[in-house]
Amino acid sequence: MCGIAGRILRAPGPVGRDLVELMDAQVHRGADSTGFALYGPPREQGFIVRAVGMDRAALGRDLDDFLGILRDHGSDFLEDPTFDSADTPHVSVRMVVGEFRDLARWSRDADGISERLEVQSVGRSLEVVKDVGTSSEVADKHGVRDFVGTHGLGHARLATESSVSPTASHPFWARPFPDVAIVHNGQITNYYLWRNRLERRGYRFMTENDSELIAVWISDRMRHGMAKSAALGQSVREIDGVFTYLIADERSIGFAKDRWAIKPLVAMGEAPEIAVATEEQAVRRIYREEGAVTNYDGPAETRTWLASRAEAAPAVEAAA
Amino acid sequence: MSRPAAANRIEVVAADRPVREVNEELRAAVADGREVVVRDTRSRHNLGVGLPAAARVRFEGSVGYYCGGLNDGARIEIERNAGWGVGEAMAEGEIVVGGYAGMAAGASMRGGVLHIRGDAGPRCGVAMKGGDIIVEGRIGYLSGFMAHAGRLIALGGAGEACADSLWGGEVWLAGPAESLGVDARIEEPEAEEVAAVEALLAGRGLGDSTRDWRKVVSEQRLWHFESRDAKAWLMI
Repeated sequence: MCGIAGRILRAPGPVGRDLVELMDAQVHRGADSTGFALYGPPREQGFIVRAVGMDRAALGRDLDDFLGILRDHGSDFLEDPTFDSADTPHVSVRMVVGEFRDLARWSRDADGISERLEVQSVGRSLEVVKDVGTSSEVADKHGVRDFVGTHGLGHARLATESSVSPTASHPFWARPFPDVAIVHNGQITNYYLWRNRLERRGYRFMTENDSELIAVWISDRMRHGMAKSAALGQSVREIDGVFTYLIADERSIGFAKDRWAIKPLVAMGEAPEIAVATEEQAVRRIYREEGAVTNYDGPAETRTWLASRAEAAPAVEAAA
Repeated sequence: MSRPAAANRIEVVAADRPVREVNEELRAAVADGREVVVRDTRSRHNLGVGLPAAARVRFEGSVGYYCGGLNDGARIEIERNAGWGVGEAMAEGEIVVGGYAGMAAGASMRGGVLHIRGDAGPRCGVAMKGGDIIVEGRIGYLSGFMAHAGRLIALGGAGEACADSLWGGEVWLAGPAESLGVDARIEEPEAEEVAAVEALLAGRGLGDSTRDWRKVVSEQRLWHFESRDAKAWLMI
């Protein structure tokens, strides 16, 4: 059991605060780790890189090596990296870097030192913040409530099938596609079948967490030129298990759920402003008064909501 | 947090208080012979679980999961929507949901009446073993799944895989089913059976003698499952 949430604001605002509330209301669904995919004002040049260093004492050396790989690919730090000052062995790092000659190639090389410093997101807008602990613990440690942006995702994890660690937490970045992240509630039962297939195609998995498969699977579909809304529909047919997952990019949040209609998703609000979550009581933290609630309870449902930064268009219904 | 309302009525506020505290207050009021109105419910879970026969409780607004679960004879009214498992394992009594009931409404119930004025989500009446579920709207995917006894009555029809793996009991449809599940078949109801269902509905202000009923029952092939027949059940 896990809890997921998504939030879209009408204009840039306290999306971090809202997502922390949405996850705090679902803390009983999982307190092993909590994570957020936060979409801030997009950069015109360069990317924000979020990463976790495994050994705080060796962070200087690891960042030097990381910088070397950046420079090999035509990029560089545009600002000094910042990091949390907790007393845990692991350390979260935020970097702002320049353009890459080829982001996918850089990403593959950067993953070469992932056992020391693992990239957790790359985006013009996206920042993935994830760590062990509850929503409020992770929010306090990383200042999530102060994050200003347009939209984002949240995840509370009850670890069932793989280890608890900052890197095995959600959201997962759909490497190497900037600004694409997923959160998932459920179990993927054909995980090894797809993992083996995708590894043969050259994809690398960073964790043993079945939810990571969704991110890699989506990457593979995107690499083949498939639109995300179409990938949502295909995932329902090809990924087996019980699941509801949310996928976000710089312009939208979408969801897909399994054919058995096991995992819930509830929405309140009026497009473009909307809150979605596993449980109704979570969206009621945002919309306290009684109001219209949509339960996405049916089998194999998918849908995409546009974030407000995109043109004010009505929500797009994806083909199931 | 509670204050007297009408002569014999007391109001309890749920808001963000611990649900255990709210339920204890609710039970104390019931033991005192009071009718209870629960306000500011905020879709919270486990409200009014395990209420005794004498209880009369109204929830204003929407409730979360398992409201009225293990009901032992109470009369419970939910003004708006209910989350998962409303009335789960109810032994007797009555629960009325004013709006939509989420997944697995009336799961494993053994007796009493669960009346849903709106639609019901997937697996309504899953594994029910007695009692009646009345849904004025439509019942969702896999409703009646593995039910053993009782009646699941849907005036607005059913979603896919209606009555899948039905063991016993009956699913009554006054509207179309998107599809029937495995081991379910439609049977022509007897006149007295229709009269009994209509009498139950009339008692709740839903009488209508013009309905075209379909009664879904078990084909009973799964009663004697043999692994060599497994292919017959692989519908996916």
